[in-house]
Amino acid sequence: MIFSIANVHVAFARNILAQRSLKSALAGLFTHTAAPRFLALNDVSLEIGESEHVGVIGRNGAGKSTLLRVLAGVIAPQEGTVFAASGKHIVPLLELGIGFHPDLSGRENCYLAGSLMGYSIRELDGRIPSIIRFSELEEFIDEPVKGYSSGMYARLAFALATDVEPEVLLVDEVFGVGDEFFMRKCIVRMQRLMKAGATTVFVSHNLDFLVAQCDRLIWLDRGRIVADGKPSEVAAEYRRAEGSHSIRHGSAGSAVRT
Amino acid sequence: MSKTFLYLYTRSQLKLKYRHTYLGFLWNLLEPASYLIVLSIVFAVVNRMNIRNYAVYLFGALVAWRYFERTVGLMMESIVGGDWLLKKMPVSPFVFPLSRWLIASVEFLFAFAVVLGLFLVLKQDWTIHLVVLPLAMIPWAVLGLGTGMICAVVFVFFRDIRQVVQMLLMFVFFTSPILFEADLFKEHSLQAALLRLHPVTYFAALFQKPLYYAVWPGVADWAVSIGISGLSLLAGWLLLNRLKGRLYFYL
Repeated sequence: MIFSIANVHVAFARNILAQRSLKSALAGLFTHTAAPRFLALNDVSLEIGESEHVGVIGRNGAGKSTLLRVLAGVIAPQEGTVFAASGKHIVPLLELGIGFHPDLSGRENCYLAGSLMGYSIRELDGRIPSIIRFSELEEFIDEPVKGYSSGMYARLAFALATDVEPEVLLVDEVFGVGDEFFMRKCIVRMQRLMKAGATTVFVSHNLDFLVAQCDRLIWLDRGRIVADGKPSEVAAEYRRAEGSHSIRHGSAGSAVRT
Repeated sequence: MSKTFLYLYTRSQLKLKYRHTYLGFLWNLLEPASYLIVLSIVFAVVNRMNIRNYAVYLFGALVAWRYFERTVGLMMESIVGGDWLLKKMPVSPFVFPLSRWLIASVEFLFAFAVVLGLFLVLKQDWTIHLVVLPLAMIPWAVLGLGTGMICAVVFVFFRDIRQVVQMLLMFVFFTSPILFEADLFKEHSLQAALLRLHPVTYFAALFQKPLYYAVWPGVADWAVSIGISGLSLLAGWLLLNRLKGRLYFYL
């Protein structure tokens, strides 16, 4: 077992900006206004075994990225339990990459992120050259990453995440960036990792990719798991439901107009 | 917590800070020296004291206080400033305040070396009591770490806490016997009694006694300063440990 989560709830407070001050906290004492909350994950339970390749689909705001963050250990849920296998190199590739410090160079960032994935400096010394080669960023590697384009940023993150030979790889929609040739390189590399036995969880809107690569598909909607099973079946169900949903809305709209 | 990460992150932060400014480091040394000189002259005149004597008195606790104040100031925004990583990777939030504390401490050691040179020129007779100074720094360093950690956590939830902390620090500073000597007040006066209740009195004594009075710090000085600094560290650690799961939602 790599991951096991049970009855996980994650709620975000809305208009949080206004609440992060002593002033509003004091005002809140007198008015007793509870902050409106948004339930991103609502009672989610899930187990992911060794070498499973899991895809996660759902509409925007369904809780896919939150689920991935819970698995990665970045978010601690307010309710529920999270178990993650210890002693594994877990590499999260969340929205456009790994946490990179904008003022530090690509190389420095590789070392920082690599050390968080559990590698020693000496191990990283050996790996960094091939990471740079794969990312094709030799010219820019010693420049601050704030000067990178979004494609360059994603390339470096992807090169790093896959070169360190992760045992668990969590990927949140990274295929949209980078040019076609780089993407192809990425997919080849990812497939090799998957064949080698790495556990992978993909969040993507690219249904065809998920059906082709995964052996299990999870459909999330408004923070709940709607379906969990064979990719082709879940994908068909998802397409049917969401398709008819939007068509129904469309026809209702036209009915009002006529 | 990843020690490798803490080391690499602190090193790159230091590099970043001094990357483009060779003068930056020099400024770090010049700043406390010039501050000390100006304050000695002004207060020696106000207090009608011998400048040379007063500078030696002031030097003791002021340098330590400035280190404490700077540590707290630097650490305050450390967790919020770590959002680039805390939102993307599983990382212990302890590394951010700890790294700032390390940077402040390294800078303090260099500044202290310079001011110590200045001091040795001013002070006529050197005594054996000076050897206790490295030990005297420890309670101050621990106090800075603990207080800074508390501030860093509170700052995540209340972004307007900086002004409050600055005000409190200013109050503590001006009421403590750092700028003025404690025997300014009569022995049985209320002020003298209040000063005995002031925790910074004991912290300051760790430096003032060996440097200025040429005596060893007393048992009370050690007990109070070690006790309070230890408590502040414990409080900071417990607070961050308890709230670390909630940080994400406030970054």
